[in-house]
Amino acid sequence: MVDIIQESMGKDGRKIIQVSVENLIPLMNEMRSNGFDHLSLVTAIDRKDSIDVVYHLHSMDRNEYVVVKVNTKNYVVPSVTGIWPSANWDEREQYDLVGVKFEGHPNLKRLFLPEGWIGHPLRKDYDLSKVQYVNMDEDGEDYATFDAGDGW
Amino acid sequence: MHGVLRLKAKLDGEVIKELEPVIGYLHRNAEKLCEMGFYCDNLIYFDRMDYVGAMNMEVGYLEAAEKILGVPPPERAKWIRVIMAELSRLAAHLVWAGAYGLDLGMLTPFFYCFGEREKILTIFTEACGSRQETNYMSIGGVYQDFNEKIIEEIKDFLKTFPKRMEIIYNIYVKNDVFLSRTKGIGVLSRDLAIAYGVTGPMLRASGVEYDVRKAEPYLVYDKVNFDIPISHKGDNLARFLVRFEEMRQSLKIIKQALDKLPEGPYFNPKAKKSMMIRMRGDGEYYARTESSKGEFGVYIVGDGGVKPYRVRVRSPTFKNLSILPVLSKDVMLADMIAISGSIDLVFGEIDR
Repeated sequence: MVDIIQESMGKDGRKIIQVSVENLIPLMNEMRSNGFDHLSLVTAIDRKDSIDVVYHLHSMDRNEYVVVKVNTKNYVVPSVTGIWPSANWDEREQYDLVGVKFEGHPNLKRLFLPEGWIGHPLRKDYDLSKVQYVNMDEDGEDYATFDAGDGW
Repeated sequence: MHGVLRLKAKLDGEVIKELEPVIGYLHRNAEKLCEMGFYCDNLIYFDRMDYVGAMNMEVGYLEAAEKILGVPPPERAKWIRVIMAELSRLAAHLVWAGAYGLDLGMLTPFFYCFGEREKILTIFTEACGSRQETNYMSIGGVYQDFNEKIIEEIKDFLKTFPKRMEIIYNIYVKNDVFLSRTKGIGVLSRDLAIAYGVTGPMLRASGVEYDVRKAEPYLVYDKVNFDIPISHKGDNLARFLVRFEEMRQSLKIIKQALDKLPEGPYFNPKAKKSMMIRMRGDGEYYARTESSKGEFGVYIVGDGGVKPYRVRVRSPTFKNLSILPVLSKDVMLADMIAISGSIDLVFGEIDR
């Protein structure tokens, strides 16, 4: 059994398990062998001084949902791509938009925004007034710039 | 045909060795926009996600938002929503059926499908004045009640459509070229599908009997009688057949819902327009619904304010597309087009 911080019931009737960052991977391994074969959703929530990462796990056979939550101050969480391949794009998206680093991810690149984009839009302190323009270089890679003349 | 997808492929002759989808060209960050608007405003961003079947997106958002705000819709509104969601599913599947033909070089079914779809859009126009981004539902109910004319139009549609659908179906399944390009191509196994989070018709074509409408009934889906079509083949043809069977089941649901449509109010008086922007949401809720593409989940976190703190969308096509690099390894380039068409891609939803 893995040590958990807190277990509660959500508004939607799903069990919420709060766990520390160190115990995340052992807990997830245990969940996977318990029949939770479908990782439905990975969400990162910016809490201003820390970040919550929420995993919605689902078991296809038993039709059961469990929510696993971790809280971290330094924006680094171990990746669960090795356990569920579907976490691959989800974690890339959360890295792109919220700026959580998933340690051990095979290909942690931005997914929606081009490489070189400054800031992570879903952070609460993201500056919306700065306009960034996207252009394509000669190799076909996208890049971002603040200069309007360079973009289109 | 499906929007702004870019695929980077490494080829060996005509065989794909490596494939990387590049997405994000339609990215508007709806999740951020949702944080900036009131709960009632955010519905319009959901219309623009899966724009070919917008009503299903509205149902998904409202399932979560109404639970957070504590304003349940009345019984009549629930039935109206089921009718509209199923009509919307038909409209979305028709776009797919037409576009899949185009992917494989058939032009005829496209016109047949869009001709039929137009009739559904006419019903939507009658109900809410808009064809695609309907914005018909609202927190606590729907904007307008059904009148006699709408019900007549839906009944007319139910009479004429089954015959037309069989014509479209026969154009496909009686065509040898279509069969040879779909049978046994792009086989997706059950375990791989679950591991990659594939849902919807694509998962059911791989032999998993999983439909959110049955697994966790929302609205009034537990009061109507319908079946979940599944196939164990997992190839392109199986996905095609499952979608067509789903359309037949949708017609069954609409028929029952029209018969059972109760009288009564069509919106919750707690959610009248002057109150809308003052409603506060607290706590978090994850609602999952079955859109035309798969399991559509909306996760809303409220902090007690009039705007949501965080909105997260689980878009089914996003997950379904992530399996394309696996499916198209070591297949011919032309087969990859057939596989990507069978996924049913809509980029408003993938990029959000």
